Amino acid sequence: MDTKLQLSAVPQLEMGSHDGRPVLGHEDKSQLHGTDNMMHKSDFIHMSEGGSFPGVSCAGSVKMLSHGICRSIKIVLFSNKLNLLMPFGPLAILVHILTDNQGLVFFFSLLGIIPLAERLGYATEQLACYTGATVGGLLNATFGNATELIISIHALRVGMIRVVQQSLLGSILSNMLLVLGCAFFSGGLAFIKKEQVFNKSTAVVNSGLLLMAVMGLLFPAVLHYTHSEVHFGRSELALSRFSSCIMLIAYGAYLYYQLRTQDNQYEPLNEEVGQGSQNVDDDDEEPEITKCEAVLWLAVMTAWISFLSEYLVDAIDGASNTWKIPVAFISVILLPIVGNAAEHAGAVMFAMKDKLDISLGVAIGSSTQIAMFGIPFCVVVGWIMGRPMDLNFRLFETAVLFITVLVVAFLLQEGTSNYFKGLMLILCYLIVAASFFVHVDPTKGT
Amino acid sequence: MGPADERMELDSDEKIPLSTPPSARKSHTFDFEAVHFSPRAGPLKLWIRKQMKFRPLRSIYIVLLTAKINILLPFGPLAILLHYLTGKHGLVFFFSLLGITPLAERLGYATEQLAFYTGSTVGGLLNATFGNATEMIISIYALKNGMIRVVQQSLLGSILSNMLLVLGCAFFTGGIVHHEKVQVFSKAAALVNSGLLLMAVMGLMFPAVLHFTHTEVHFGKSELALSRFSSCIMLVAYASYIFFQLKVQPNLYGQISQEGAHEEDSEDEDAPEITQWEAIGWLAILTLWVSILSGYLVDAIQGASDSLHIPVAFISVILLPIVGNAAEHASAIMFAVKDKLDITLGVAIGSSTQISMFVIPFCVVFGWLMGQPMDLNFQLFETATLFVAVLVVAFMLQEGTSNYFKGLMLILCYLIVAASFFVHVDPSNDDD
Repeated sequence: MDTKLQLSAVPQLEMGSHDGRPVLGHEDKSQLHGTDNMMHKSDFIHMSEGGSFPGVSCAGSVKMLSHGICRSIKIVLFSNKLNLLMPFGPLAILVHILTDNQGLVFFFSLLGIIPLAERLGYATEQLACYTGATVGGLLNATFGNATELIISIHALRVGMIRVVQQSLLGSILSNMLLVLGCAFFSGGLAFIKKEQVFNKSTAVVNSGLLLMAVMGLLFPAVLHYTHSEVHFGRSELALSRFSSCIMLIAYGAYLYYQLRTQDNQYEPLNEEVGQGSQNVDDDDEEPEITKCEAVLWLAVMTAWISFLSEYLVDAIDGASNTWKIPVAFISVILLPIVGNAAEHAGAVMFAMKDKLDISLGVAIGSSTQIAMFGIPFCVVVGWIMGRPMDLNFRLFETAVLFITVLVVAFLLQEGTSNYFKGLMLILCYLIVAASFFVHVDPTKGT
Repeated sequence: MGPADERMELDSDEKIPLSTPPSARKSHTFDFEAVHFSPRAGPLKLWIRKQMKFRPLRSIYIVLLTAKINILLPFGPLAILLHYLTGKHGLVFFFSLLGITPLAERLGYATEQLAFYTGSTVGGLLNATFGNATEMIISIYALKNGMIRVVQQSLLGSILSNMLLVLGCAFFTGGIVHHEKVQVFSKAAALVNSGLLLMAVMGLMFPAVLHFTHTEVHFGKSELALSRFSSCIMLVAYASYIFFQLKVQPNLYGQISQEGAHEEDSEDEDAPEITQWEAIGWLAILTLWVSILSGYLVDAIQGASDSLHIPVAFISVILLPIVGNAAEHASAIMFAVKDKLDITLGVAIGSSTQISMFVIPFCVVFGWLMGQPMDLNFQLFETATLFVAVLVVAFMLQEGTSNYFKGLMLILCYLIVAASFFVHVDPSNDDD
């Protein structure tokens, strides 16, 4: 989602000054303080009539209301090319009811969720225009990976714990390797003569957080596999729950720290960035729908995604049998494509515009979010629901994650990018995907 | 260390030749006239003898009564009393822990004082040896009792506590106090230490992996031989590191310490507060005291574990190192708050390096001499923990800056590690 950019891209702003991005949007609409979401509004997402209209109050005459609704629907639902995929959602439900072809149901619900996820990000952005930087950042942090979280919660409810673990893991891997790799690759090809640079310090902080998350995942797994727990099978669940709380605290501190440091960095940047010198993103400063509409659409999209996810999750096993591919492959490789499709496109587009910091914010920020927030959150939700969801992601998955984080952290620490690095990351992802194509759990425990 | 500025750390800015005339040093002392002054007329001799009478008392006063931490001193004898009167190992353990803490701190103080007299080179060596004297003494006692796992785990815990907890608290408090700016430290020193830590981890990993992939030539014996060989190599590496530090460091670490050193806090450390012989005497006394208490401490571990219902691993890895590190902890935080991050880093990471490259191999060799099968195979879980922790810390340090968030992350990592050890027992309780 673009919304994920909000918080993760924000720290890049301090050094992004030379890019002349209108990152702050402080120019005129200072009261809106929709600072963070400005820069990442991609072209293709808002091919709408960039008609900006000031916030209309929710109350009003009935005529105005119906006009508002029509206009809102037009803006949200019809202005984006991606929304062509929307009919696949109801189609999936139809197929589910009429036939028993789980493979088709799975495929169609996948396609149907993609535009919804993207629109959810759009609605979050719009809402952040109204709520200011702080709450906007928090919104983004929560809803940024809403799709993955919703799918995971559904899977948790049904008790498919391995699916949850693997889909979250796959989301991290896909963001770190595939999205980043494609961005570096395409950016490198577009700017083949020079080397693109990005801000090292943010990348280093995020890599540090990812390493810490890996540490949180590593200990329960190693504890379990060296059979060195006090109460076999139970201790590592308790440890996982404790570690999840710690990781949530760390993530909260990270948000706080990010918001504080960027507050200090913003004021001086204002004067430099100033007026004009902005390019495409000018028309993104104004929100396109009102606050109430944004909230409503947020709710509608979430409900819709929730609905479709149920069919998606129920169809996983059947699809695995029909297509003869392991459930691991579906969870790790196919499912994350859904939640990440929009981010993918956004990151590639920004890389091609030589705005690598935003691409990095999208990709690595999203990985950090899932690792430090999404996974612990699912553990806690599982705790509340009474599901034994833990941080023991099994040895193979944990080892893959560990090595991937090391590779990516190493590649990022230099602060430059070129198409070769991008190609390496993509090839790494292919290797990972191939490994999961031939991977089943040693004992079929979900 | 030179008479000029420095503390007990190895970072001295000027190398003072060992043969500085003592009178020059004594001229700095503000407290009392030492006998080394050129003796003058007769009436003075009387006065000097009078002074001498008070010296032991004054010495005791300076060493024992001026540090607030010494309030904990009575816990030592109390622990011994409890040991003989009751059978409550939990209390004995707890009290001896409390009793050793001030002794460890005073031991560091005595080493500092002695280092004033011996010059930077020997002072550096002194610090390198006695810096972790408490851990060494506890480990030797445990070795003698054959509690090899306790030795391994307590040394590991000391490394982890230094790298994660002490450093994290220092970064955190320093970051909060100086939250308008970003604190910097010398990257070069941090990188060298990280490299050494990684080498130590490598030395620990190979025996463990060899053992656990069952790929040794003589199962059970090869990795002991490998451990002993690796330990000798690591001791050689550590010696060259000390050599390198003492020869090169005036240039490497000198600039930073020079700027920072001429501040308020170093003025009152210019002068040694006790004489050279007193320092040696106190060194001996404190070491003896620590040894005695360690004996009771180590004996009470098993009982404390049973009565408090916590795994021995948790006691060894988390609780024991708190004892040896309490003083370092406090001083690291204090220096971070004063914006002298290089010294903080020297304390924390330097101590970790010392333990991993010196104390652990030393214990292996010592066990070799004693006939105990102490090896570098720290078992898979501990080795993995150490490996990941070293990676995380090395990664955090490579940037050369610090802020409260990094400190918080390190502290939280330590909490995760502590929680893991709270639910950790050895898979087969064989080598205790």
